[in-house]
Amino acid sequence: MTVLRINGEDHDVDVPPDMPLLWVLRDVIGLTGTKFGCGIAQCGACTVHLAGKPVRSCQLPVSVIGGNEITTIEAIGGTPEGKRVQDAWLALDVVQCGYCQSGQIMSAAALLAQTPQPTDADIDAAMSGNICRCGTYVRIREGIHQAASGRPLGLQVIVDGERP
Amino acid sequence: MKKRWKRVLIALPVVLVIGAGAYAWLNRTDPADGKAPSLTGAPPSSDPIARGEYLTRAADCIACHVTPGGKPFAGGLAFKLPFGTIYSSNITPDPDTGIGRYTDEEFVRAVREGIRRDGKHLYPAFPYTSYTELSRADVLAIKAYLFTLPKVRQPNRENDIGFPFNQRWAMGFWNAAFFRSHRFEPDANRSEAWNRGAYLAGALAHCGECHTPRNIGFAMSKGSLLAGETVNGWRAWNITSDATHGIGAWPDAALEQYLSTGHADGRGSAGGPMGEAVDHSLQYLDSSDVSALVTWLRTVPAKEGKDPVVVDAGARGLSASNELLPGADPSAGDMGRQLFAGACASCHQWNGPGRQTPQAGLAGTRAVNDPSGANVVGIILQGVSMRVRDQDVYMPAFAQTFNDAEVAALANYVVHHFGGKAGTVTPAEVAKRRAQ
Repeated sequence: MTVLRINGEDHDVDVPPDMPLLWVLRDVIGLTGTKFGCGIAQCGACTVHLAGKPVRSCQLPVSVIGGNEITTIEAIGGTPEGKRVQDAWLALDVVQCGYCQSGQIMSAAALLAQTPQPTDADIDAAMSGNICRCGTYVRIREGIHQAASGRPLGLQVIVDGERP
Repeated sequence: MKKRWKRVLIALPVVLVIGAGAYAWLNRTDPADGKAPSLTGAPPSSDPIARGEYLTRAADCIACHVTPGGKPFAGGLAFKLPFGTIYSSNITPDPDTGIGRYTDEEFVRAVREGIRRDGKHLYPAFPYTSYTELSRADVLAIKAYLFTLPKVRQPNRENDIGFPFNQRWAMGFWNAAFFRSHRFEPDANRSEAWNRGAYLAGALAHCGECHTPRNIGFAMSKGSLLAGETVNGWRAWNITSDATHGIGAWPDAALEQYLSTGHADGRGSAGGPMGEAVDHSLQYLDSSDVSALVTWLRTVPAKEGKDPVVVDAGARGLSASNELLPGADPSAGDMGRQLFAGACASCHQWNGPGRQTPQAGLAGTRAVNDPSGANVVGIILQGVSMRVRDQDVYMPAFAQTFNDAEVAALANYVVHHFGGKAGTVTPAEVAKRRAQ
C-alpha cells in the first residue's frame, strides 16, 4: 500500500510503484478534474502540484512522490492564488472547450505563488508547456494579469459575482 | 643484372618466411585458460546457468545481438562504420542460423580470438579485443546460458561493405598489428576488489570499447585508457580519474548510483548507448561488484582527453533562474529558448534540477557543458526509454517534432543556459545525426 496525501487527505492506494499519478488520481481515487492529454508530458493538461510546484502527473510514478503533498484542480481554489486565478478565469470567461483548463489553472496558480507580479515574458516562459487547442492564450495571459493585479482587465463577463 | 635478380630470388623467400613467422607469432593464441576473480553476483559455486546469465548480462551481449523490437540474442543490429555496414549475428542456439553447432572449443575461440566456427575472422565490432581476457570457465558459463535460450531461426544478414574491407582474412593483419590474445592477469599488489573491478570493466563490461580513444587503425589506444571517444555521434565521456575532465571529483556514491541506476544527482544521467548499457547490463550487477568496478575506475590514470569538457556548476543562466522562470537573459526571444519553454521546461525546469524525476536533472551534467552539444542533440532526437529498477525512465523523442534548425537552436540554447558556453551545433550536423 502507498499512502498519498492529496488535497489535505491521506489516501491508501494499492497500485504498482511505476503507475503514473494521473492514473491513480482518475481511476483509483476518482478525482477526474485532472485530464489526460498527450500522456508524454508535452501538453500540460494533467498538471497538478507536488509540494506546491507544477508537475505533469502523466509522467510521475507514484513511487517518487513520497510524503509530498499533492494538490489537484479540485482543491486549488482553497489556496489564495488558486482562488484569484479561478475568479479571474470566470470573470474573463477564459475557457472555451475547457479540456486543458485544469492544467492551465494549476500552472498559473503555481506561477503566481512564486512570482506575484509576472511580466508577459514570465507568463510565456512558465505557461508555454500548457497547450490549448482552442487558442485561448490571449485570455489566459489576461487572466493571469488580472489575478495578479486584482484589477479588471479586458471585457468582464462576470462583475461582482453577477453576469451583467 | 643477373646478379641482382639472384639476390632478389634469395631475399624474397627470406622476407616471406620472416613475414609469415612474424604474422604467426603476432597472431598466436594465448593457450592459458585464464583465471577470473570471483564475482559477488556469480561465485564459482553458484548454479552454472545462473552464473552464465549474470556473466552474459555483465558482458552486455544483448546490447548488440538484438534489433529494436527484435528477438533477444537473434542479432541483426546494424553497425554503420565509415567503410560500410556490418550486422551482428544470431547467438541463439538454433543449429542452422545461430550458434547451436558450436563446440566449447569453437565458442571459446570465437569469443576470445575473434575467429568464428568456419575459421574466418570476425570484425572487432565484436569486442573479442576485450573478451580475450575472459577465463575459459566464464566463457563456457556464458555459452551454457545462451544454450538455454529459445532457438530463433533467423539467418544472419550479409554485411554491406566494399573491397578491401570485406576481405575477412585481412583482419589477421589487423590482429597482428593491434590485437594480442591474452588472459586477465590479477595484480597481486592490488586488493581483491580492485582485481574484480578490473576484470568486470575490462573483460566483461568492455567499457574501453566506447570510452577509450581509437587510433588511426580503429584500435583502442592503450596509452589513453578511458580518456573519452565519440561513437556514432555520441560522446562516451572521459572517465579517467582526472578531477576536472574525468570522474575524479565524483564521490564513490555518485559513481555507484550512476552505474546501477543510470543517474547521479547533479552529475549526469545515462542516455543513448550508455543508457542501454545501464538498461541491459549494469543495473543487474550486484552492488558489491559495482563498488569493485568503482574501486578500479578510481585508479585509471588521469588524462585530459580530446575536446575536454569542464562543468560550470554556476553557469549564469542557471543561477539566474528558478524552477518556473529563466530570469533575465539576453537570449529572450531566441528560438531555442522558446522551444525549451514549450517542450522541455515543464520537466527539466529552468534551473535544471529535474522536477518529474531526478533523471531529468540537467544542471551540472557534462552533456550541457559540451559546446559540441553532441549528446544533447542525440537525446533530443532519440529521447530516452529505459526501465531501471522497475521504473520507466522516459523522455519523448523529438526527431519528428522539430526540424534540423530547431534541434540545433534548442541544443545551443541548452548549452548556453545550463552550461554557460556557446554551443556550436549546426543544422547540418543535426541532419547527419539523424542519419546515424
